[in-house]
Amino acid sequence: MVKDIYWLVITSLRTNFRKRSNLLIYLGLPLAGVLFSLLLYSGHGQGGLHVGVVNEDGMEMAANTVSFLESLDQVEVVGVTKAELQQQLAAGKLDSGLILEKGYSDSVLAGEPGHIVIQSLKGAEVTAYVKAMLYNYIDNFSVMGKIAAGDSAKFKQLYDEYQNIDFELTTSSVNDTSVMVAMSNQSIGFLIMFMMMSAVNLSELIIVGREDRTYFRVMSSPISSRTYVISNIIANFIVMLVQIAFTVICIRYVFKMDMGISLLQLIGLLALFALVSVGVSLVIVAFSKSSGMSGALQNLIVTPSCMLAGCFFPVDIMPSFLRRIADFMPQHWLLQTIGQLQEGASLEDIGFNILVLSSFVVVLFLLATYKFKRMNDTRSFA
Amino acid sequence: MNVLEIRELTKKFGEFIAVDNMSLTVREGEIFGFLGANGAGKSTTINLIASLLRPSSGDIRILDRDIAKHSRFTKMNLGIVPQDLAIYKDMTAYENVSFFTGLYGLRGAELRERTEEALKFVGLEDKMKGYPKNFSGGMKRRLNIACAIAHRPKLIIMDEPTVGIDPHSRNYILNSVRKLNEMGCTIIYTSHYMEEVEEICSRLAIIDHGKIIAEGTKEQLVATITDVKEIRIELKKGSDNLLGILRGIPGVRNVDMKEQTIRIFCDLEVDNLGLILKALIDQDADIRSVEEQEPNLETVFLTLTGRTLRD
Ligand SMILES: Nc1ncnc2c1ncn2[C@@H]1O[C@H](COP(=O)(O)OP(=O)(O)OP(=O)(O)O)[C@@H](O)[C@H]1O
Ligand SMILES: [Mg+2]
Repeated sequence: MVKDIYWLVITSLRTNFRKRSNLLIYLGLPLAGVLFSLLLYSGHGQGGLHVGVVNEDGMEMAANTVSFLESLDQVEVVGVTKAELQQQLAAGKLDSGLILEKGYSDSVLAGEPGHIVIQSLKGAEVTAYVKAMLYNYIDNFSVMGKIAAGDSAKFKQLYDEYQNIDFELTTSSVNDTSVMVAMSNQSIGFLIMFMMMSAVNLSELIIVGREDRTYFRVMSSPISSRTYVISNIIANFIVMLVQIAFTVICIRYVFKMDMGISLLQLIGLLALFALVSVGVSLVIVAFSKSSGMSGALQNLIVTPSCMLAGCFFPVDIMPSFLRRIADFMPQHWLLQTIGQLQEGASLEDIGFNILVLSSFVVVLFLLATYKFKRMNDTRSFA
Repeated sequence: MNVLEIRELTKKFGEFIAVDNMSLTVREGEIFGFLGANGAGKSTTINLIASLLRPSSGDIRILDRDIAKHSRFTKMNLGIVPQDLAIYKDMTAYENVSFFTGLYGLRGAELRERTEEALKFVGLEDKMKGYPKNFSGGMKRRLNIACAIAHRPKLIIMDEPTVGIDPHSRNYILNSVRKLNEMGCTIIYTSHYMEEVEEICSRLAIIDHGKIIAEGTKEQLVATITDVKEIRIELKKGSDNLLGILRGIPGVRNVDMKEQTIRIFCDLEVDNLGLILKALIDQDADIRSVEEQEPNLETVFLTLTGRTLRD
């Protein structure tokens, strides 16, 4: 049986990688995704982040915070109202929003900063950047506030000293990494979609084989249908491993993006997700009566679910009921896991996520197997 | 030795009975013909033999072994040329044959030799690197055959291998069938073309509504027809309304028309030629020739099934 599987897999891979249209889907599209992400974020290198600020506090500390933000090279500050902020964030006019609520200044001066809200639609990275910069800044003040312990003259002195510290150096490096990680994540988002698409294309060969009748010729040989399907799955998995390796290497070594996560961990996670993709594609194929139908289901399922799961933009911008749907999308769990690792989570921290992703694999495979078995009883050879 | 033995085989699709309690034996070295109109159950029977369908009841033995119990052995010795082409469009002729033959466990030099041998056998040695999408209908049919014979099966079943192809390819295929047979293969041959079956088959079965209604050599089958004669009338111009009128004449069992030729099957003892000719003249039909035919397989088929082989 191993010999048979080897024969089927090798033949399948050889014919698959020979077709130019397949190469385009397996490698070209993920590469295009990487390039597109580059384009999407390239503006941030020069134009900077557009941060909308809602200043409800109005005290001196708040004004200082705003001017600090304005002083940053990468940031352009726009004063807005709360309503405008939501609107312009959703419209993509703003990258991030900062709300300084009433009581902000007092809280900082008291050494316990609060009443500050940061929003962002472009992904955690943008927020992370603004957050990193602000918290650093605010932290300093709260420390000063503690030292001054209510003595405003002392605070003024500390503040003036602080203003002379050259802060810019750190900011640009933080900014670079953040945008790089954002680009890399965006590229991974696209990769996820293209992985799922190529998985369906490959599983579809099972249906295509029925349509061009080659499947029946295989079945009249000593090969069992189980061997045939297993070989298809293995070929599918190998194609996706190639796809993953190619894309990740492009991201890391050709475009030199910082991924904020170790290469091996990322590849490992994506490989696990490759199994999920195979599972999804098998379920699609098992429920399809023709390759036309599986193609339609592919369009109906892959792109929308990727969108809901946050492959193209963060789930934060979606209404909460849609966000809850994302929890049912394996893509969401993958992105979340990558995000956690980027934020420094340990392997133990992501154990639960791995478990969820593995469960997706098991459930999808069981569902496909069940459906395939039932189909075999009534399959039509006419 | 019996290469194929079918015992009380039945296949139902829901309520519909496609193969009805069929029993049949094919001996080693035969070219055995399956004759039957559209939907008679020929392909269904073949799919059952190939284990592509599970029988509702009955059993099938190849080389004296049950196909359900000795699946690997029986499949190794079986080559199926399916009615509809089953080849990969994005693989070359060579790759197609090589792939399917590899499924039977052949590898390396042996696989290469068998692949080339099979392609040569069907006359595609110049097209090994060609893709089927650039092939003519006849070439595709020949490739379809090559894919089924390269593993050197003892029993080859061909389901209408010559459907819709040019005379050159057809002759090539018929000669290949004979050659395969001379090389020791037993062959089951299905066709819609009576001439082909008459030409190459040593024995045949007539299948109708899933049942074998007659079986034997061509001579044996023709000899069973003792009460029917066929009158062939060639007209200058055929017309459909003639058929109805002719059917009403006493002694006429069946009438069919192909282009300008009307074939009338009548009871042997009824003398009705005069009535037939009068009816045609009354309709202003322009008669060119009239002849009475010796009974042949076509007469047999029509008598037994009441249908012509090709509609
Ligand atoms: N999977 C199926 N489900 C339902 N009915 C079927 C199925 N396969 C075949 N049949 C029916 O069984 C009958 C026999 O079909 P089959 O294909 O065996 O005929 P055939 O003799 O090969 O005809 P042809 O000369 O047209 O190839 C037909 O009426 C067909 O509609
Ligand atoms: Mg048929």
